[in-house]
Amino acid sequence: MLKNVTEYHIPGSLDEALSLQDRESRSYFIAGGTGLALSNSNRPVELIDLGKLHLDELHLEDESGKLEIGATTKIQQLVELDELQDFAGGYLANNLEKVGSYPIRNAGTLGGSIVRPFPWSDVVPILLSLGAKIRYFDGTHGVRDLNNLYSDDFRETLRNSIVTGIEVDLPEVGETRGRFYKFSRSEFDIASLNLGCTLTALNGKITRARMAVGARPSFARRLTEVEDFLQGQSLENDLAEEATEMAADTAGVTGDRKMSKDYRLAQVRKMTEEALTGVIGDFLEQ
Amino acid sequence: MELEFTVNGREYVQDVPPDTRLIDFLREDLNLTSVKEGCGVGECGSCTVLVDGKSILSCLTYMPEIDGKEVLTLEGITDGDELHPLQQAFIDTGGVQCGFCTPGFIMVALELLNENPDPTRDEIRKWIEGNICRCTGYRKIVDAIELAARWMREGQEAVEA
Repeated sequence: MLKNVTEYHIPGSLDEALSLQDRESRSYFIAGGTGLALSNSNRPVELIDLGKLHLDELHLEDESGKLEIGATTKIQQLVELDELQDFAGGYLANNLEKVGSYPIRNAGTLGGSIVRPFPWSDVVPILLSLGAKIRYFDGTHGVRDLNNLYSDDFRETLRNSIVTGIEVDLPEVGETRGRFYKFSRSEFDIASLNLGCTLTALNGKITRARMAVGARPSFARRLTEVEDFLQGQSLENDLAEEATEMAADTAGVTGDRKMSKDYRLAQVRKMTEEALTGVIGDFLEQ
Repeated sequence: MELEFTVNGREYVQDVPPDTRLIDFLREDLNLTSVKEGCGVGECGSCTVLVDGKSILSCLTYMPEIDGKEVLTLEGITDGDELHPLQQAFIDTGGVQCGFCTPGFIMVALELLNENPDPTRDEIRKWIEGNICRCTGYRKIVDAIELAARWMREGQEAVEA
């Protein structure tokens, strides 16, 4: 925990919250507090609590498949919300349940998971594999692709802005299904590797594919080469074999004390194969 | 900064330094020592308390975050001298050994039983996955929660009858 909090601000508007952020990075936004808790610093800081800004609203358009979720929504709320149980075949609600423990999910927020993206985060690859975008406020409201955010220097990009939520735009036609896998010592433990994949299909063909791998051990990234390969293909189980090698070639994994590079590559292959055969199997069973 | 909150049913209006952790306030200012600090970084669950009915880790929570909210610790769940069914069940099943982790397990189990009065053993295991016990091996803890759930259901049925 930060041990020298000199001021704790509770702003009433986004403009006020942004104005409180100082240029010398002595101030931090706080919502759930689970990310900041891992900071262990004695230097004086100011905290800006985003909890009273009403950034915890959810909007789902059934017709278009467009989902908007506020940044201070707790992870456990997303697991339990009725509106999300069928979204993308339950992909978001079912897999966010794999994040941490109940008390962690009761405190941790969606926005916090984005702006303090620990490399082992499960939330980030789940969002990336839905093709999520972030909504932010830097004096004006904007939208940015989540994958592009992590491709750039996201800390610099977010320095003078507040993440206000996420957007997910599923294709208006076709159905979306997905699989997410996490390799860890226990369900509660942080991931040594995680991988998520969603496919949207219409009339037996894949119209959209999104795949992301995290805990590589560096930050999560989308596997756009695999996505491009899958899009337009017919739903057949032998797709998985070629995609599996492509995923291993492009995941950019390395070794660390938890897992060697070879073992991580083997896990990428296994997760990719199981994700694709699982999702394709779901569609073929319909 | 001045905060208003409730702990175990009692209202407080308190001036608290903003970097005070909830666990420190509960233990040092209110002497509620059931709240244990194990790891201090959110990995062991020993400091679990309920805030507005939801389990949270008090070692990861700054006091300003509980402004306007209700905190419940193990000390607040007893009814006079009578133990809560969860406490009695932990004793009867041998779910307690050194006891350090027990308050955290009971608080997270209380949240479970409030939301799901008849959980399966798998649901219990899933719910307590963020709490660590280095003594019992968990089986008797699951037994305790299962037993308490039965007692609480039977008590509720008796009240309704």
